[in-house]
Amino acid sequence: MVAQNAAAMWNALRGIVCVYKPAEASVRKLRRDLIMKICKGLNEVDENQYYRPFKPHTSNATELIQQSVDRSVDLRDHPLVYGPKFDELDLSLSWSNFLGWNTSGVLLFGLRSGTQSARYIRENRSSRAYRIKGVFGQATDTGFKNGKVVERSTWRHIKPFHFDKILSAMQAAHQKKMFEMSGIDMQSQLAYELAAQGPIRPINSKLPIIYGIKCIDYEGPEFTLEIQCINEYETYLVGLIHEIGVRLHSTAHCTAIKCIRHSYFNLDHALLSRHWDLKNILQNIRMCNRILAENEHVLKQTSIALR
Amino acid sequence: MSKNLRQLVLPSNFLRFSKRYLHGPKRKYPVNKEEAKKLPVFQYPVSKSSYRRVFAWGNIHTGALGIPYTDKEQRPDHTHFIKYPKRITFGEKHEVTTAACGFGFTVFAVNSQDENKVYGMGINTDSQIGYHEVRHGHPLEIIFIPKPIHLPFKNPVESKVLKVSAGRAHLAILTDEGLFTLGNNAYGQCGRKIIPEENYTMSNYIHHISDVEGENIIDVECGQDHSLILTEKGKVYSCGWGADGQTGLGHYDNAPEFTRVKGDIEGENIVKFASRSDFVLAVNDKGEVFGWGNTEYGQLTLSDGSQQVATPTHMKILEQVGKVKSVASGGSFCLAVNEDGQVFTWGYGLLGVGPNAQQSREPIHIPDTLFGRNDFQPNSRVEEVVCGLFNAAAVTNLGDLYAWGRNKNCCLGLGNDKDQYFPLKVSLGGFVKKMYCGVDHCIAVCEPFCM
Repeated sequence: MVAQNAAAMWNALRGIVCVYKPAEASVRKLRRDLIMKICKGLNEVDENQYYRPFKPHTSNATELIQQSVDRSVDLRDHPLVYGPKFDELDLSLSWSNFLGWNTSGVLLFGLRSGTQSARYIRENRSSRAYRIKGVFGQATDTGFKNGKVVERSTWRHIKPFHFDKILSAMQAAHQKKMFEMSGIDMQSQLAYELAAQGPIRPINSKLPIIYGIKCIDYEGPEFTLEIQCINEYETYLVGLIHEIGVRLHSTAHCTAIKCIRHSYFNLDHALLSRHWDLKNILQNIRMCNRILAENEHVLKQTSIALR
Repeated sequence: MSKNLRQLVLPSNFLRFSKRYLHGPKRKYPVNKEEAKKLPVFQYPVSKSSYRRVFAWGNIHTGALGIPYTDKEQRPDHTHFIKYPKRITFGEKHEVTTAACGFGFTVFAVNSQDENKVYGMGINTDSQIGYHEVRHGHPLEIIFIPKPIHLPFKNPVESKVLKVSAGRAHLAILTDEGLFTLGNNAYGQCGRKIIPEENYTMSNYIHHISDVEGENIIDVECGQDHSLILTEKGKVYSCGWGADGQTGLGHYDNAPEFTRVKGDIEGENIVKFASRSDFVLAVNDKGEVFGWGNTEYGQLTLSDGSQQVATPTHMKILEQVGKVKSVASGGSFCLAVNEDGQVFTWGYGLLGVGPNAQQSREPIHIPDTLFGRNDFQPNSRVEEVVCGLFNAAAVTNLGDLYAWGRNKNCCLGLGNDKDQYFPLKVSLGGFVKKMYCGVDHCIAVCEPFCM
């Protein structure tokens, strides 16, 4: 570790940290846990060091009392008197992408001045990739596996090429929507040039757009989809699986949602919660800041094109 | 504020151990997994492999979409154009195998157990979709619902329709018993003798051509007022209006009977041809392209600068695009697709390469990204191109339909009435197999996604 000093470490805690969010945990809980672990780590670095110099008081009235006090320790700064030096409320931390309760995967947090970067990443609408697992044959009231089964249906007629057909049609329909959502006059030369260039980002941050959707595994009733998208949210992805089931003359529900990529951050960068200690977090911040420096457009977009 | 006081104001422990915080979405009763096993298993119907979804859009005044049209005075909210592809019920009742769009009328060929193999709807001023009278001597000149066209088959139940093609006011139906033509024959486009002052409205005559010079007919294509047929040995025969040389017979007169087209295509094995208006494109088995007809918009550049060519001419400018797989010839522009699924366009009008490109004598490559080929879908290729008079469409191997051109009466199906300057996906609820363009309406025959 570079700095053994808690104050130096505190100064280094600026930027983006990329963590792995497990399923069935809320982002709020993760945020709180992370803050707690960072503060705990900082407080443990120099546990018995007090910075306030001892100043002897000269007043006669207190002299007698002070004579009986151990002068080597200033009790005013003692943790038992003042509380821990690094408080959880002092550390500002915000997320740049919100993952739902059932979603797992890459999650970006902005730490201290990095909260600004987190906001820019969010507002720049970078694309995300998901790996979604689903099962044919059962529909649940929530659309997810934890719901109550409301309908059962046959699924053996579904073959992999049916999947490819419906998914390519969905993808093409979304790419058309992408142009309509870009806010460009479709009759202009600019619209043609942008369309010829490739995928573009929507101007609205509310409407989900799917750029790529493909089935990477289909065995029995279970299937796995890989989706590249923008502006999505958990309910939307769950609803998507339900719709695919209906389109294929069956029913389906979702069993797992995992975010495998968020702009340039993927699962390799994500820090598991069991590795959340000061050393790893600081290392992760350095790595994330390097990625941000290499890809400036993550923070500052100049073009509507998807990157 | 001291730190201890702040902790008192926001008791973090309370938030940390709230119920929602620990357990996720709340449920009134726990889910009983056993109850799922008691549910019945639904079996949703799965379509037959021969089932096709039929979509139509464009102008409904002509009746070509099969939607009854009433006057605006009667229903002020009545729509005049179908802006989005609309699934028509005819496809649900019949197994549509192929279709054709003429100038304001539509013809469907169906796979049926009875004698009705061909259905037509739309404008019927020249009996191009058969003679349909409500009372004796008063035939319907416009038909809003698909009506069967009775063909003089030898074996009416067993015979099959291979292809239908429609021109301005005539129709050609290719069956396994030969070719049937009906409708307007003012220029000899039905392949029979021109009768002066013939009343086509009252005509109930269907012309039959079993073969040409002993060879079976395998393909038929109707231009505006001319017809082309292809025999099994790759020979092309034509008849009809030849004022611009579109018959390719070396003269500019009307040809009342199917006559062999020579010129550069003599000796070539032609596999495909296309003509919507008055310019014809033909492709041989080597992927070379030949053209003849009206070239005033630069469809075919000639050395002497003439605007008409009555002899099939090899198009050398298309050698640079590679082996051509599919061609389409519209009113003022042409399209070609090569083996790699790349689309090339030339001529005049909305070529599909932005509003700035209006005219080109050389083939321009329309970027593949416009047809859905990108990093996420690298295997998307255009399989077929189709032309209306002023609009064009392309079908990809992934069953997507892309349209561009003049949006006359909303015939592009993009949901608006504005012209489209580059290919844009048409939203269809099916896997597009075949696309047919009329002058102001379109028909798409699609497979369902799951069957």
